[in-house]
Amino acid sequence: MSSAESVAANIAAWTRRNAEYTDPSAARAWAPAEFRWGKAGVPEAELDVLGDVSGLDIVELGCGTAFGAARLARLGARVVGVDPTPAQLETARRMQRETGLEFPLVEAPGEAVPLPDASFDIAISEHGAAAWADPQQWLPEAYRLLRPGGKLAFLHTSPLAYCCFPDVGQITEQLQRPYFDVGRVIWPGDDGVEFQLGHGDWIALLRDTGFVVERLIELQATESAVTHEYYNDVPVEWARQWPEEEIWVARKP
Amino acid sequence: MSDDSITANIAQWTKQNAEFTDPAAQRHWASEHIFWGVFSIPEDEIGSLGDVAGLDVVELGCGTAYFSAWLAKRGARPVGVDPTPAQLATARRMQAETGIEFPLVEAPAESVPLPDASFDLVISEYGASLWADPAKWIPEASRLLRSGGRLVFLTNSVLVYLCAPEVGVVTEQLQRPQFGMYRIKWPEAEGIEYHLAHGDWIKLLREHGFELEALHELRPGEDAVDPGYYDFVTVEWARKWPAEEIWVARKL
Repeated sequence: MSSAESVAANIAAWTRRNAEYTDPSAARAWAPAEFRWGKAGVPEAELDVLGDVSGLDIVELGCGTAFGAARLARLGARVVGVDPTPAQLETARRMQRETGLEFPLVEAPGEAVPLPDASFDIAISEHGAAAWADPQQWLPEAYRLLRPGGKLAFLHTSPLAYCCFPDVGQITEQLQRPYFDVGRVIWPGDDGVEFQLGHGDWIALLRDTGFVVERLIELQATESAVTHEYYNDVPVEWARQWPEEEIWVARKP
Repeated sequence: MSDDSITANIAQWTKQNAEFTDPAAQRHWASEHIFWGVFSIPEDEIGSLGDVAGLDVVELGCGTAYFSAWLAKRGARPVGVDPTPAQLATARRMQAETGIEFPLVEAPAESVPLPDASFDLVISEYGASLWADPAKWIPEASRLLRSGGRLVFLTNSVLVYLCAPEVGVVTEQLQRPQFGMYRIKWPEAEGIEYHLAHGDWIKLLREHGFELEALHELRPGEDAVDPGYYDFVTVEWARKWPAEEIWVARKL
């Protein structure tokens, strides 16, 4: 499968999910709130991944309905949201009109972003490009978009969680599939294409791209977290014992 | 906290030396190739060390010092450090038998009586990397290295830690939480092991002045066989999930 095919499959998957969930929940997601990471809901203030974003140029790769970008905009960042799915960007534009919080939205996959070199201080992705774009292509794009000294921060499903999912249904406490040489993942009965790498492969790819690896934050669901209402295949009890999600932080020298 | 683990680990490795590492020392020292871990994966396939000729190397937790002997055969100047007198006695006997001589120092990796910035490479293969307190031995490794020097160590994977039952061979079931992992005493072992999650290794390495270069998650080849003495994992398991990993970091 080419990356054009995985991009097309993921646009179809996220058009469907937008109608099911991300559009109807957009008003709630856009409401003023602190920036939290992932389903684990860990506050940015606790992790300090991004630091003070005020005045920084930030690009979000795979922004979906752009609620994360909106939260960063409220903190004074100059954000640009990039996503390949027109339906999600349409929802994002509606929310911009409703809230008066305006920032550029660009329709493009994380693999090929029509924005200039060295124009951002932070590239961020939360279950966006980090899960749904080909890392061989989007990591070099993130590198290109960043200024020297700029930071890449992305969150996605951990390889441990990937290994513990059955073909269909809720995550288990059993290793269901091998860890080595994963890459592209198509779950039976699902329409999207995910990308999964082991930790060693992420480190190798980040370094080959030119990044310095700064942190791997393996997220533990907070005490107050509950099982997600829509992305409900990981009970919060699992995510309190093992990292379902992880954040990589890397810097362009 | 680590004083009790040093004492316990000396007791365990005195016993394991009598059982295995002493009788196996001659075979281990005789190898002309460098192998990693319980599946004897060739360094030539992994490429984690590079050319060691002319390098000052310290091995932390050298045991019977066969790994240092392999590096000496390739032109390195190794120093072996281990807290267990019985294993160092075996190493000295092998030095006398083979004529491959290098310094051996009796000390735990938590506190190494060697000068600052005196090595180009710090290595540990199931030595300090599993049996010493990382909060103490990683700073020691950093102190011992010259600027630009490398730290290369092999230990069990996180998945092995998560999937090992209290007694017996690694399973396909998560047996314990990942959060909170650090120090463990297995019910039937005398010794105390240290296992860190990947995010915690990266944090610790960076806090002590290292830049991360690689994490090699090892997969034995198709012709590999089940380990003999160290029979905690089968080759069938290790072909699907990494049982062992090598970290490579450079001191800035």
